[in-house]
Amino acid sequence: MEDLLAEFIAESRDMLEALSGEIVAWEADPADRARLDAIFRFVHTVKGNCGFFEFPRLEALSHAAEDALADVRAGRRQADQGLVSAVLAIIDRIAEIVAAIGDGGEQPDADDAPLIAALDGTAEEGPAAPAAAASTPAQRRQSATPRTIRLPVDLLDRVMSGVSDMAVARNDLARRIAQHAGETGLEAPFNRLSAILADLREAITRIRMQRIETLFSGFPRMVRDLSHELGKQVMVEIESGDVEIDREMIEVVRDPLVHLIRNAVDHGIEPPAERQAAGKREIGMLQISARQTGSEIRIGIVDDGKGIDGDKLVEKAVAAGILSAEEAKVLNARERNALICEPGLSTAKEVTAVSGRGVGMDVVRANIEKIGGSLMIDSTPGAGTRMMLNVPLTLSIVPSLTIGVGQQTFAIPRSYVEEIVRASSEEMDSAQIGGREFITVRGQRIACVGLDEILGVESTCPREARLYVLIRLVGGDLFGLAVDAIHNHEELVVKPIAPVLMACGFYVGTTQLDDGSPVPMLDVSGVARSAGMIREVKDRSLRKELRQDREDERELAPALLFRGFDGAERAVEMDSVRRIEKLPIAALRAAADGTAQAVIDGRIVPLTGLGGFKPEGEEINVFRVGEEGHERAYAYAEIVDLCEYDPTEVVRAEGRSGQRLALIGGRPVELFDAATLSATPAIFAEAQA
Amino acid sequence: MTMDRSLLLISIAGERAAIASEIIRSVVELDRITPVPQAPEHIAGLAALRSRAMTVVDCRRALELPAAAEAGSLAVVVDLDEFLYALVVDAVEEVVPFDTEPNEIRADLLPGWARAALGMVETSAGPALVLDPVKLIEGPAKRKAA
Repeated sequence: MEDLLAEFIAESRDMLEALSGEIVAWEADPADRARLDAIFRFVHTVKGNCGFFEFPRLEALSHAAEDALADVRAGRRQADQGLVSAVLAIIDRIAEIVAAIGDGGEQPDADDAPLIAALDGTAEEGPAAPAAAASTPAQRRQSATPRTIRLPVDLLDRVMSGVSDMAVARNDLARRIAQHAGETGLEAPFNRLSAILADLREAITRIRMQRIETLFSGFPRMVRDLSHELGKQVMVEIESGDVEIDREMIEVVRDPLVHLIRNAVDHGIEPPAERQAAGKREIGMLQISARQTGSEIRIGIVDDGKGIDGDKLVEKAVAAGILSAEEAKVLNARERNALICEPGLSTAKEVTAVSGRGVGMDVVRANIEKIGGSLMIDSTPGAGTRMMLNVPLTLSIVPSLTIGVGQQTFAIPRSYVEEIVRASSEEMDSAQIGGREFITVRGQRIACVGLDEILGVESTCPREARLYVLIRLVGGDLFGLAVDAIHNHEELVVKPIAPVLMACGFYVGTTQLDDGSPVPMLDVSGVARSAGMIREVKDRSLRKELRQDREDERELAPALLFRGFDGAERAVEMDSVRRIEKLPIAALRAAADGTAQAVIDGRIVPLTGLGGFKPEGEEINVFRVGEEGHERAYAYAEIVDLCEYDPTEVVRAEGRSGQRLALIGGRPVELFDAATLSATPAIFAEAQA
Repeated sequence: MTMDRSLLLISIAGERAAIASEIIRSVVELDRITPVPQAPEHIAGLAALRSRAMTVVDCRRALELPAAAEAGSLAVVVDLDEFLYALVVDAVEEVVPFDTEPNEIRADLLPGWARAALGMVETSAGPALVLDPVKLIEGPAKRKAA
């Protein structure tokens, strides 16, 4: 409330200041429509705010002025000199009262009724005006709330870059002083200079920035009201990741974000009954998160609703002539989802009052693109949608971690970093699965990749001395980045990187260390993408459950949750899995009776999991179970997750199949172990049916 | 239109070339270059000009010429679309006034030169190819990875 009040005062003062010129011009020419509109907007805004804050005097004044001006705007009345004076008197009185509220002092003790009466045009003159004007300057001088000024952004940029230059010069000076043997007498003044500069730098760099929380703070309430209205239950999770955003940018992204959130609640998340029928929790999850990278802020809006029906979108797009059937065939999932941003294509069956007919996704995307941003949509039908909004920053301070690989130093935004684990640490365990390194930290298995591998830089550090930076991507995926060293935590001023380097896909910006040397800032998602660490959107509620389970500190066993070629999800105990690998299709043989074999390491191994599916492409995913000589391979379409289950909760299904079912993500999932896989092949016939 | 223009004469791999001086910010001796892994071959890395980062372009590589026996450190700094680029050259000769458009080249050049050249000029010091910094920064077209 305090903040809102301060904002109201600041806004009113800004408007009053801007208005002073308009008032004078309007006085000179009462027929000037543009001036009239500006003044009308002011009293209208004040009136709106007063209702919220309960300032009855302000409300009465602004209401009266608004009514009179509305009459003029509607042509019901002529703006004559008397009206102008009366309105000006009211504006002056508003200024006085606002100033008094801002100072926390007494409101001026005067009667507003004559001013309001003067608006009727019955009174011939507005005697209060000069008196009020005379009293305001004195009050303004002693204002207690911080006042705001407006400055051109380039001026700020110039000041900022000047301060940065100064810091570099300071460092140079420091080196030269250090080279001198003995006392130079410069140490004390130099240290003072450094301290002042550090302080100045801190202040200057904050000038343009505002925490993104100020933008996000209104969203929970908005979602609450919206879901009430729609009869839905939605839980909002906000994670602002200490991101700071350009003040200007906040205003620009607000509308697109509001629209995307409304869409997620209105069209994404289903009514409770529908959710229950789909085997989900009644309460829908909506996660709004922000991450800051070099030149971009990434805002993710993730819901666990019904997702986007890509096929239907494509169908509609083809029907509407937006693209041809041939073009439609080559679209990838993301491109299909992006069709939702085409004008006139919305999959919602009915237009609701909430998302409305007015602004569509096409406008949202256009607005984002106008500021050089982008919108990416990932969706899994039935499981949810992830909207990712990338907006640029021309200049930003990023809390960062500087890391080293070989002789090289890189920066990564700290907001992505969840934790740092030492390879030699007690609580960490590492394993090689399917050519990929996995580490286990407190029971959670995390895929890892070496930064040296990704960037083709020679690591100068023995494997067991490496550090793993655990990185949480927007959207929730976690992976480990192995590095040689962590140098420092620091606040870095990150600037855009030249397009020719941006094109590599690994960098988002450049920054400078204290010694002036430039350092590239890594594009964490680019690195993850190149390492194949970004997976499809997953069921958020499933992750939620997992996290809760972990909090309960039960003894959990790891399992690999995978999707078979029949589309069903199954799990296999991690301990039973010997290897996860890809086999060339040529190494497979499928017989007419439904059995299949694969050639692995020069031996013929029974293969299950294919069912009647004819694999396409060059390779197929399989995992191997069983002892040497009694191995079996199981083919699957994709890995869904590395998950955990409670072994004490495993039940055996009744009836002939005798499936073992584990509770994973709140759902029963068929669970394999080595014994069931190798001893009773008949199970698969059931499973694949 | 073309009054008061001048060209900076430079030398790359023993040949004289020129860059329009209006986009040149300064000529610097690079003291340290931070390599950028996975960058295109003609990009030597990043260097600092006070508090700004410059992308260092190795002109020999950008022109698809053999590397110098000893890596050069003399660079012409150009300002393009709010980014600074340091174009590493072998030598900087002089600034010559020039106020006409460069002539068309009526001969086949080596592919690297042909791509980056805007045209040829006759200067008081002799003929020179006028280079387009944009093309130098772009570098050779990416060959398909084998």
